[in-house]
Amino acid sequence: MLFSTRSLLTMLHGLVLSGGAIMAIAAALFALRAMALPEGAPVSERQGNNFAWVAVAAAVLLWLAVLGGTYIVFPPYRATPPEGLLDLTGYPRAILLADPSKRWLHTFAMEIKEHMPWIAAMLTTAAAFIAHRYRSTLLAEGSLRRATGWMLSISMVLVLCVALLGVFVNKIAPLE
Amino acid sequence: MGTMNEGAGARAAAPGRRTNGAAMAATLAAGIGAAALGLFVLLNAAGVYSAPSIYPPAGGLSGRSTFAVVLWLAAWWILDQRWRERDLAPGPIVGWTVAMAAFSVIATFPPVWELF
Repeated sequence: MLFSTRSLLTMLHGLVLSGGAIMAIAAALFALRAMALPEGAPVSERQGNNFAWVAVAAAVLLWLAVLGGTYIVFPPYRATPPEGLLDLTGYPRAILLADPSKRWLHTFAMEIKEHMPWIAAMLTTAAAFIAHRYRSTLLAEGSLRRATGWMLSISMVLVLCVALLGVFVNKIAPLE
Repeated sequence: MGTMNEGAGARAAAPGRRTNGAAMAATLAAGIGAAALGLFVLLNAAGVYSAPSIYPPAGGLSGRSTFAVVLWLAAWWILDQRWRERDLAPGPIVGWTVAMAAFSVIATFPPVWELF
């Protein structure tokens, strides 16, 4: 088999779900600015619904990436190799910790990857909730647009940082 | 929170307009959830409290994240019950949310753990 199941799950986590979340958050941030209307102006049902669905998609994709990362991809990453094993292939954390030049990829990069995505997921969910509940007025209500924009912007920065760190980790110690 | 509920920035909802209380509840709750996660991480790094592992293969992360999510959802429910019919000044609420998210980012930044 060209790709192992663990490798495929890692790609699904990193490329499909996390990548999809990044695209959806970017689309929502762009739409929030591009589709903004003057204060109090009527918002067409189509515009409101479209924005709401982009924001909801971002939240759903991000939660799937976070939960899949924590409960499916992370456990085999952190598995402890049997005592005395010389070939650490298949034990990414052990590979990183065994080499001082790669150690930071676990103690810094992976530790960040463990926690920060949860912050982004909670913020994006709040943004998606606002986008959905206030879909008939949000695009014409500056204060709600700013609140939503702040949360999506913070999420975007966090997810981009985490994604980059994930690429570094997976390049050096892939789940195979 | 009194200033958030009834401060000078609070306003009456225009007829037919939905109050912003539910949005503000979701916003602040997200900040509280983020701060809770940061606090659990800091307490763990300081050796003061380690959340029990909910799913052993994922280690302590499963406990810390689950507890933070429970606190986030509880805060959201409580705030939504209190604020959903109100119109609130968004500035302080968004400010607190950003501050709590920033705290959480700092708290989950590994070099900070070396201070303990």
